[in-house]
Amino acid sequence: MNSAPTRLLEVDLVVERRQVTVKTGFTLDAGERLAIFGTSGAGKTTILESIAGFVHLSSGNVRVAGRLVAGKVKGETALEARYRQVALVRQPTTLFPHLTVEQNVVYGIRRSPARSRIAELLERLGLSAFARARGAALSGGQRQRVALGRALASPFRVLLLDEPLSAVDVAAREALRLLTIETSLEHDAAGILVTHDLAEAQAFSDQLAIIDEGTLLRLGGAHEVVLSPLTRRVAELVGYGGFIPAPSAVNMWFAIHPDRVALGAVPERGVVLTGTVLATRPFGPRYECTVREQSGQQFVMHVDQPPATGALCALTALDPPVVAP
Amino acid sequence: MSATAPAGNLAASGVVPGFPVAGRLVARGSTALALLGALVIWLALLGPFAVLIQHLSFHSIRAALGPPGALEPLWTSLGASAVALGAMVLLGTPLAYLLARGRLPLARIVELGILLPLMMPPLVIGLLLIFLIGPEGTLGNLLADVHLTGVNTFFALIVAEFYEAAPFYVLGAHAAFASVDPRIEQDAALLGDRPLQAFRRITLPLAAPGLATGLATAWARAMGAFGAVVIIAYYPRGLPNQIFIAFQEFSLPGALPFALLLVVAALPLPVLAYLWSARTRSRVAGTEAP
Repeated sequence: MNSAPTRLLEVDLVVERRQVTVKTGFTLDAGERLAIFGTSGAGKTTILESIAGFVHLSSGNVRVAGRLVAGKVKGETALEARYRQVALVRQPTTLFPHLTVEQNVVYGIRRSPARSRIAELLERLGLSAFARARGAALSGGQRQRVALGRALASPFRVLLLDEPLSAVDVAAREALRLLTIETSLEHDAAGILVTHDLAEAQAFSDQLAIIDEGTLLRLGGAHEVVLSPLTRRVAELVGYGGFIPAPSAVNMWFAIHPDRVALGAVPERGVVLTGTVLATRPFGPRYECTVREQSGQQFVMHVDQPPATGALCALTALDPPVVAP
Repeated sequence: MSATAPAGNLAASGVVPGFPVAGRLVARGSTALALLGALVIWLALLGPFAVLIQHLSFHSIRAALGPPGALEPLWTSLGASAVALGAMVLLGTPLAYLLARGRLPLARIVELGILLPLMMPPLVIGLLLIFLIGPEGTLGNLLADVHLTGVNTFFALIVAEFYEAAPFYVLGAHAAFASVDPRIEQDAALLGDRPLQAFRRITLPLAAPGLATGLATAWARAMGAFGAVVIIAYYPRGLPNQIFIAFQEFSLPGALPFALLLVVAALPLPVLAYLWSARTRSRVAGTEAP
């Protein structure tokens, strides 16, 4: 008999799609938040829709608070959608187009809510002025706010977010992210964010899952996975742009991150390299340089003061992780 | 750098590279031709209505519709069409929904079955219905057990109208349901709706304009059904049948008042449905202020 305590969300699934087979497994407790990060077409959305119970699983199952939501288990019937306690924000946004913004937001509230509470939620979503507008009259960012509000107002235990802020102005994202996290904690819920924006993933969640071509490559702390990607593919996906053979081990590489390279030789802070600057271009307030290292490998680095193009200079890769193929 | 109109905008801008003036003339000419074509088709479609009004006099209308019992065919047609329409909604709506959601096995075969009455001449349908529900027919025997007869009865009229009109409703409803994204039904279910609740709160309002158009078309077809009706339900006399008989007995002037009556009785619902669905569609699409 399985005596392990029930986790709030248990996922173990295989979904066969035409282009890719999606295979993943993880568990989340109440209050935990996971970001699923990967390229387009990696199977992120399929994972979310599977957890919501809307995708036929080739094998495995999904449980919310111990109750079957998706998959086939002998002697058990999967919960009807209305009992799953799952809130889903899709990408592209799916609003109820014939209803107003306010009617959309309160749709999942079964008992008549206090007017002041709805007004406060609409205010925090930045939608007070549009409460009586319909979806078609809204911009992409406003539609995303409505979809997020509709999910947050419902009585969920698992919150599934598929790129929920991708069309929202950068300036407004922080407030909406905070609202999402607060509400999720109030519901004592588990949250999953799907995104291809690493900064967004780290800002939302404490855990990070890296998905590539349907497979879960790495699952760990949101910062830990980036600092210690373990394999070359994970390193590439989280932004490492160069790989220099590590002299200490066969078939292992130092992974070079553009933001973790310093000009000059500082051996106590990392690995000292020598490279030729091939090109320099502005990068926000800084500069991005393409460098060819002595081994012939190229990588990019972000610096405040760019060296002259063609210059041979000493560089320090700051504590570069060692990765396997 | 010189600006070049993208290929897709050439027609709109009226510019043909290398031949600017000729291109503009061609564009204007084709627009004028299209407008002329539209006008001709519109006039051609409206022509019969204009002629109907032109050839009717108040006197002829009173002479035809004045005598006692003259309006009986109208009540018969209205009654039979209303019942046929009710049956279509009751049976056709779930069928159309399941077809649109791909939940029926052998969906293509089912669709073909719905199309079949549309593709068959109504007269042929009438003949075949005699074999099916007539006194000697397979179902006819069963109907006799419940004291129904499938020939020359009000019931037969309903069945004939149903066969002629139902495909229009089912196909219209199928298209209307297919236009509703199934993912938003899932969203409603996740937000706590039972399947029927989600259908009532989300699917039905969104499909309503298309359903109304399908219903209106079916109503017009049912009211005007003649081919199958004249074979299997010559009596009780509905309006189309009355027009045919009046035409045979009194020629054109005798038939036209009944034709007007049929138009007046059959047209308001489709026109209202069209106006309502156009307004609802534009409201949901956001082209009209809420």
